[in-house]
Amino acid sequence: METTALPLSASTVMIATDLPALSRLAASLDATFVALPPAAFATPIDNDWSFGSALETWRADAGLAAPSTRVVVAAWTPQHAAGRLIDIDAATFAARAELPFVAWFVALGNAVRRCADDGAIVAIIERPSPLDCAGWAPEGGVADAVEAFVRSLSRAEGHRGVRVNAVTTPHRLIPDALVAPSPPLANYPGTLELEVASAVSALLGPAVGGVTGTVVHVDCGRSWR
Amino acid sequence: MTERHVVLITGASGGIGQGIARSCASAGWTVWIAARREAEGKAVAAEVDSLGGRGRFIACEASNPESVEAAIQVAVATDGRLDGAVLNATSDLSPRPVVFEDVPIADLVEHFGVSVRGLFALAQSVHPHLRATKGSLVVLTSEAGFEGKARLSPYAGVKAAQRGMVRSLAREWGSNGIRVNCVAPLAATPAMARAFEMDPAMADRLLGRNPLGRLGDAETDIGPVVRFLLSPDSRYLTGNTLMADGGSCPIA
Repeated sequence: METTALPLSASTVMIATDLPALSRLAASLDATFVALPPAAFATPIDNDWSFGSALETWRADAGLAAPSTRVVVAAWTPQHAAGRLIDIDAATFAARAELPFVAWFVALGNAVRRCADDGAIVAIIERPSPLDCAGWAPEGGVADAVEAFVRSLSRAEGHRGVRVNAVTTPHRLIPDALVAPSPPLANYPGTLELEVASAVSALLGPAVGGVTGTVVHVDCGRSWR
Repeated sequence: MTERHVVLITGASGGIGQGIARSCASAGWTVWIAARREAEGKAVAAEVDSLGGRGRFIACEASNPESVEAAIQVAVATDGRLDGAVLNATSDLSPRPVVFEDVPIADLVEHFGVSVRGLFALAQSVHPHLRATKGSLVVLTSEAGFEGKARLSPYAGVKAAQRGMVRSLAREWGSNGIRVNCVAPLAATPAMARAFEMDPAMADRLLGRNPLGRLGDAETDIGPVVRFLLSPDSRYLTGNTLMADGGSCPIA
């Protein structure tokens, strides 16, 4: 890789949207925070994907960074209220599905370029639990897409020893009233700083050197597959 | 209003969509071929007629919400009802091998537009009509959406996105009596042939792990599965993905 001439970074790198919750999560992971370009999220959403140009430019510069053996990705986009798919307009769909789809793709591409040989990449995905997914069709679609990206990358990067995994959390995608029955664990949905960070740390570590292409649902038992 | 079962299939001017259309024709249904290619689409409509159904062609660009809405309106105005719709169209870029971190945003736009924005558009347009008939929406996804593909990552992503959206739609539309499901086919199609040309090792990979040892036939292996999901025979089935792939992708 072009980046191997640079010194190896000893720290975990977290590529993420510049949101307070994700900054706190980066601190929990003792990770160096690399923000996705704010311009991508400030650009009005349109059918021409003009927001993509900021992301594409940013991705092109990624190979200049020092490689790291541990890379975390969380390309979360601004929060939206739940709503049935038939009730949302095209602009809202673009904001809830198209922008996060391309943001995730670019952020994961950046992660691949930053990750050293024999390193590990972990994606932290917001995913509505299947029982509670009514009203979250765009977010559910993006979550499944990112899971497929993770599995695609695990296949593409395995030849150089890079593992690629994901954890999911329903973090901001929880309905006012949960469908019965209740989640098995009382600490549902868990916190980013504790439950999510712990799972991410485990997947980044050498103790799971044989695990790649796996998605771990950190939702206190709300999802069973 | 016609007494026949009326369904509309996007991207049905060839490949799997054509196979689904022919299978539905054999049940005597009215089948709308909603596609960009007029000559090929009209030819499939004629095949539907010859097989005992009633074939109709309507020009449709699956990634364009206005075009999708117009096609649905014509179908309902003509036949008075819509019992089922199939999102089968996929991007021409689907079989093109890529390196993940180098994929141009413009290519993502194309993939996403046909498969994901196309689902958004079709869902919005068909909902009132499927509600009236307690009908069925079927989305053609792929095993790639489950397992990922090293060199077809955008395709894998949009196919997975469809399943995630279908999972929600099934819950949002259940109280309306509308069922929403996916089919993940593996079939010998022109698109598959192009994929084999671009990646010669792909055929061995695909068939080597397939318990049935062959690619499916669009009309006789895939079409009946989709027809089942479009028919009242599957009236208690929603939010599911049926793997019509010869056991190639073991998810159970």
